[in-house]
Amino acid sequence: MPVVKVLTAGIGEADLREIATYEARGGYRQWKRAVRELSPADVLKAVDASGLRGRGGAGFPTGRKWQFLPASDAPRYLVCNCDEAEPGTFKDHMLLEENPHAVLEGILLGAYGIASHHAFIYIRGEFKRGYQIFSRALEQARAVGYVGTNVLGTGYDLEVTVHRGAGAYICGEETGLLNSLEGKRGEPRLKPPFPAVAGLYGMPTVVNNVETLAYIVPILERGPEWFASVGTERSKGYKIVSVSGHVQRPGNYEVPMGTPVRELVEIAGGLRPGRTLKAIQPGGGSSACIFEEHLDLPYDYESMAKAGSMLGSGAFVVFDDTTDFVKAAHNLVRFFAHESCGQCTPCREGGHWLERVLERFVHGRGLPGDLEMLHRVSGSITGLNLCALGDSIEPFLKSVLRRFPEQFEARVIGRNGVAAR
Amino acid sequence: MAKATRPGDSGFDALLERLRPECDRIIAQYEHKRSALLPIMHLFQEHEGFVSPEAMAAAARMLDLTPAEVESTVSFYTLLYRKPVGRYMLQVCRGLSCVLNGADEFMAHCRTRLGIGHLETTDDGTFSYEEVECLAACDRAPCMQVNLEFFYDLTPERFDQMLDQMRNGVFEVPPLAQTRRPERTWLESPQAEIATGRRTRGAERVPDPDDPGGIGDRSGLIMLDRILARDQAFRGRTRERLVREDPQALERVVED
Repeated sequence: MPVVKVLTAGIGEADLREIATYEARGGYRQWKRAVRELSPADVLKAVDASGLRGRGGAGFPTGRKWQFLPASDAPRYLVCNCDEAEPGTFKDHMLLEENPHAVLEGILLGAYGIASHHAFIYIRGEFKRGYQIFSRALEQARAVGYVGTNVLGTGYDLEVTVHRGAGAYICGEETGLLNSLEGKRGEPRLKPPFPAVAGLYGMPTVVNNVETLAYIVPILERGPEWFASVGTERSKGYKIVSVSGHVQRPGNYEVPMGTPVRELVEIAGGLRPGRTLKAIQPGGGSSACIFEEHLDLPYDYESMAKAGSMLGSGAFVVFDDTTDFVKAAHNLVRFFAHESCGQCTPCREGGHWLERVLERFVHGRGLPGDLEMLHRVSGSITGLNLCALGDSIEPFLKSVLRRFPEQFEARVIGRNGVAAR
Repeated sequence: MAKATRPGDSGFDALLERLRPECDRIIAQYEHKRSALLPIMHLFQEHEGFVSPEAMAAAARMLDLTPAEVESTVSFYTLLYRKPVGRYMLQVCRGLSCVLNGADEFMAHCRTRLGIGHLETTDDGTFSYEEVECLAACDRAPCMQVNLEFFYDLTPERFDQMLDQMRNGVFEVPPLAQTRRPERTWLESPQAEIATGRRTRGAERVPDPDDPGGIGDRSGLIMLDRILARDQAFRGRTRERLVREDPQALERVVED
C-alpha cells in the first residue's frame, strides 16, 4: 500500500502543535535557511521545478501562479485559503488542527517566495478550534522571531494575520475570499483582472490552498527533484486524499499522485462486507462520478479529467449498492443552491430549479417531463457564471442521471407502479 | 437572564467601552480597516450572543461605513445571527458523506428530541437547531458542532446524553452568552424561507404520513406542492404565490 507520511508525518504520534516538538522534527529549518540564505527567486524556482499544483481544487501550477505577479514595488499579499468546505474534503481541517506549524512555515515560505511582507490565512468560521490552535502556533513562532519585523535579524519583515470567516462556502473561491477578507459580502469578482494583478486591496495577490503551501516545506527540504520524481507525467508529488462514504476506514490518506483508484478504496478499508461498488466521486461535491470501469485509472489530474470528472480537492467519496442516487443528487444540488451567492442568474435560479424538481423525485412525485427538465436545466448553467460554483451544480447529477436512469424513472408519477394522486 | 441591551441603554455602552481596545487591536492588523468587520462582529456576538443592531451601528462608526453596508455584509454570513439564539447552538452536518453514514436518521432523532425543526429555537431559549452544510469531518460521520465545538461519530444515545448534560449545566462546552430572549427562529423573514423551502414549521407540527423520511426539514415545501398539485383552484400558481395569497393554506393542510 502506497500510503506515505510527508505532511502527515508525526500526526497522531507527537503533539506537533508545540513549536518545540515541531522543531525537534526538523521544523522551521527551511524557513530559517530560506530567509537567511535564499532569495525569493530561489524559493520560487524550487516550487516551479517541483511541479507542485494547487491542492485546493483547480490544480493550477503553483510556480506559474506566482510568476503572474507583476514586477513592482507595490505591496503584494499572500493569502492562505483555509476555507475548506467542499463536500467530502477534510484535509485542511486536519492539517490546521494537527500540524499548524507546518501550515505556518508553508505560509512564511510562500510569502517569501513572492517577496510579500504581509500574509493572511482565511480560516473557515466553523473551524473555531483550528483558529485557536493556529493563532497559538503563530504566537509561539512570533515569540522566537520567525514572524514579525526583522525576521531572525535578516532585515526581512513578514507579518501574518489570522482571519476568521463566518459561514459561506463561496468564500473558498479566491475572489470571494478576497472580498470577504476586505470586510465585504463574499461575492466573487469578475475576472480578469486576476488576483495576481489586482487582488487584496487592489494589490497583486496570490491565494494558495493550505496543503499547497505546506508542501513547500518538504520541497525545500528534500529538493524539487524529489517531489517531481513522484507521481505521473503532469501530476507531481503527493496528495492528501480525504476518503469517505461507504468505506470501512474513512480518513485522510497521503499517497503519491497517480495511485490507482482501486488502491485508494482498499487503503480506506474497502467496502463493507457483502457490498458492491456503484460509484466514486473523486474530487468533492463539484465533481462527476466515476465508476467500476475507472478503478484502474491512476488518481491524477489528467486521468480524472479524461474520465469526465476531476481530482479537485482530493475528496474521494465512495458509494456502494445501497446508495439512493436521487437523494444523493438532491443533497448536492441543494448544497450548491444554498451556497450560491446569487449574483449570476443561471447559478441562482438554475440551482433552485433543479433542487425543486429533485425534491419531487425524492418523494416519488416526479412529474412527467421532469426528467427532460433535469437534463435541460442541468445543461443551462455551466459556463455562464462569474465563478465555478455554478459549474459545480450539475456534474454529479448529470453523471448519475446517465448511469442510473432507472432510479429516477422509478419515481415519476404514473410509472413503475408509482400512483398518480 | 442577563439584562437586555437596548439603544441608549448603558448596558451596551459599557460593553462597547470594554471591547473598544480589542476592536482597535483588530483594526490595526489590516491595511484597510473595513477588513476588521467580520472579526469585530464575531467579537460582539461572543459577548451578546448575537449581532445586535447596536453592535452593527457601533461597527459602522468604528469602520467609517454606513449601517446599510454593515448589515448587508453581516447578512451574507450564516454564522452571524442578527437575532438572539439559544444558549446551545446545535449544528448537525447534513453533508453527503454524513448522510451516507446515517445523518438523516440522526437528524430525525435530534428534531424529535428537541421538538423543533431546522433553524428553530426551543421555547425556553436553551437550544437552537440547524442542519448545516458539510463540516469537513466526513471521516467521523455523523458529526455536529455545539457552539462551534466539534463532536464526532454521533449516535442517538450520545445526543440524548449531551442534551441532558446541557440541560443540567454540566456540558463540556460552555453556553453562549444570551442578552435577549430568542424568538422561534433567528431568521429575518421566516415566511419567505418557508416559501423557498429553507425552513419548516416546528417539527411537531409537520406530521407527514407520506414523508419517506430522510430529508425531514423540507416537509413544508412538500405540503405546498401537494396543494398545488391537487387543488384545482391553485393550478398554475407557484409556491411563493400560494403562500402570498393564502398564508394559511399550509396550516389547513397540516391540520386536515
